[in-house]
Amino acid sequence: MNLCIRTKCLRYSLINSFYRFSTTTEVVDQNEKVLIDDSDETKVREDEIEKKRNISRLSTSHYNIENGRKPYEEPKHWTHIKLKYYRKMYGKYGSASGVDPNLCWPTKEEIQEKLEYESVAYPYTIQQMMKMAQEKRLADQQAIEKRDRDVAAKFEKLQQWKKELNDKVAKKAAEVHAAKERKERLVEEVRRHFGFTLDPRDERFQEMLAKREKEQKKMEKIAKKEAKEKVMIAKLQQQNVDLAGQTAK
Amino acid sequence: MGSKQVTEKALSMLKSLPRLSLANLRDNPGSKITQKRGRAQHGGDKHGAGNKGSGQRMNYMRLGYETGNNPFYLRMPVELTYYKGHHLRREYPPLSLHQLQSLIDKDRVDISKPIDLASIVKTGLYTFKPDQNQFGIHLTDEGADIFTAKVHIEIQWASEQVIATIEKNGGVITTAYYDPHSLFLLRNPKKFFEAGLAIPRRMIPPPDAIEYYTSAKFRGYLADPEKISKERVKLAQKYGYKLPQIEVDSNYEMLCVRKDPRQIFFGLEPGWVVNLKEESILKPKDEELLTFYAS
Repeated sequence: MNLCIRTKCLRYSLINSFYRFSTTTEVVDQNEKVLIDDSDETKVREDEIEKKRNISRLSTSHYNIENGRKPYEEPKHWTHIKLKYYRKMYGKYGSASGVDPNLCWPTKEEIQEKLEYESVAYPYTIQQMMKMAQEKRLADQQAIEKRDRDVAAKFEKLQQWKKELNDKVAKKAAEVHAAKERKERLVEEVRRHFGFTLDPRDERFQEMLAKREKEQKKMEKIAKKEAKEKVMIAKLQQQNVDLAGQTAK
Repeated sequence: MGSKQVTEKALSMLKSLPRLSLANLRDNPGSKITQKRGRAQHGGDKHGAGNKGSGQRMNYMRLGYETGNNPFYLRMPVELTYYKGHHLRREYPPLSLHQLQSLIDKDRVDISKPIDLASIVKTGLYTFKPDQNQFGIHLTDEGADIFTAKVHIEIQWASEQVIATIEKNGGVITTAYYDPHSLFLLRNPKKFFEAGLAIPRRMIPPPDAIEYYTSAKFRGYLADPEKISKERVKLAQKYGYKLPQIEVDSNYEMLCVRKDPRQIFFGLEPGWVVNLKEESILKPKDEELLTFYAS
């Protein structure tokens, strides 16, 4: 086999070398007509050759996509007759896709739907929104200022309120202290009466204490009455003095 | 006559309908039982539930429960108002001036043209997720002292310091709002153009962001340009630098380019269809479409 090829090669090379050394050049016919055979028969043959050349083993659609053509010539699926698919085919393959570019723009229904959506999603114009934002800012500022004023007004009265509260607390404490002292005094008096320390829970002690308390109350009542009378007398005297002064005038 | 039309119509409908093939066949609903509890070597033993515990008994613990420990989410005292509504707030993933300078130095962004969100995303070093309430770039002041580039940049959030730094170098900065849909387009324009749709309009900001995007102080895209020029001078006085004159700049025209509040891409108007395959732009002529896209 090898030998055979070699002989062939030798023969060709030999012939070529002979041509190289020949003095006459080859005559090229300029006016030679190129015939293109476009009969059906040749076309079919060409197609068959093309088919045989395609050894990719790709499906037709994939082969088309790979070669920059749209995958399907006719629809294969229900999505292939949708507007979106047509638009996509035009966007990807241009006018070669055979899609009318008019389809790229929204239809009347789509425009209406879009406008309806926008009227709901964007209810205010820019000017309206600007005005609203301005008003909100102003209202917030005013609320802050009002609060500041309130706090300042309250701060002015703070010292007075503090004093009032402290006085109230002190008064209450003094009252409690006085009551405690009185009670202690009473207990001491009872103890002195018996002459020895008696258990405060003892019956006698309790009796005596009640008695003392009663006396104390009586005394207080009398003192109160006297004080009242004194005040009354002072008032009457004052009135008398006043009357005397008026008559003297 | 009429019947002929009907038959023709029916025929054309039939032609447009898909051919029956394996790709569009489907089982009747409920006709297939998908789950199988395998026995023996076919997935038997524990049937994927593991050995003992919650998996087998299917008594899964509630979220956050730590089998009797003081749970993490209760371990710290909380400020009830601090995180209130955080899941609804807008988020702006940060990009520092230092990073921006680095992008410029490495020629990842072209400063001879206006920089916007799309050109920053195109560098591949900044990403954000519009579906997770992220609304674009927050340019932070980290690296402000070494920032030297003169840029015309449009970002979504910036502090006073950042604005001062950009303007000190003779640049122009604008803060602009994009609604989530526009953000998707800016993040991946190719994907959008390949969908074969007309470019939509940019939507207006929500009420709680209107103050920022209309304020001249933060160079909002809805602010009055005259007020902005006044604020530029004021900021220069505050930070103590000499404001470079834009009017005498060689790139004056580039620095003056501004997007329309309805515009998403530089140089492309809403309503246009961009075809990448044919490298063509189709513009609408229909009156209704024109009024819709102009509104």
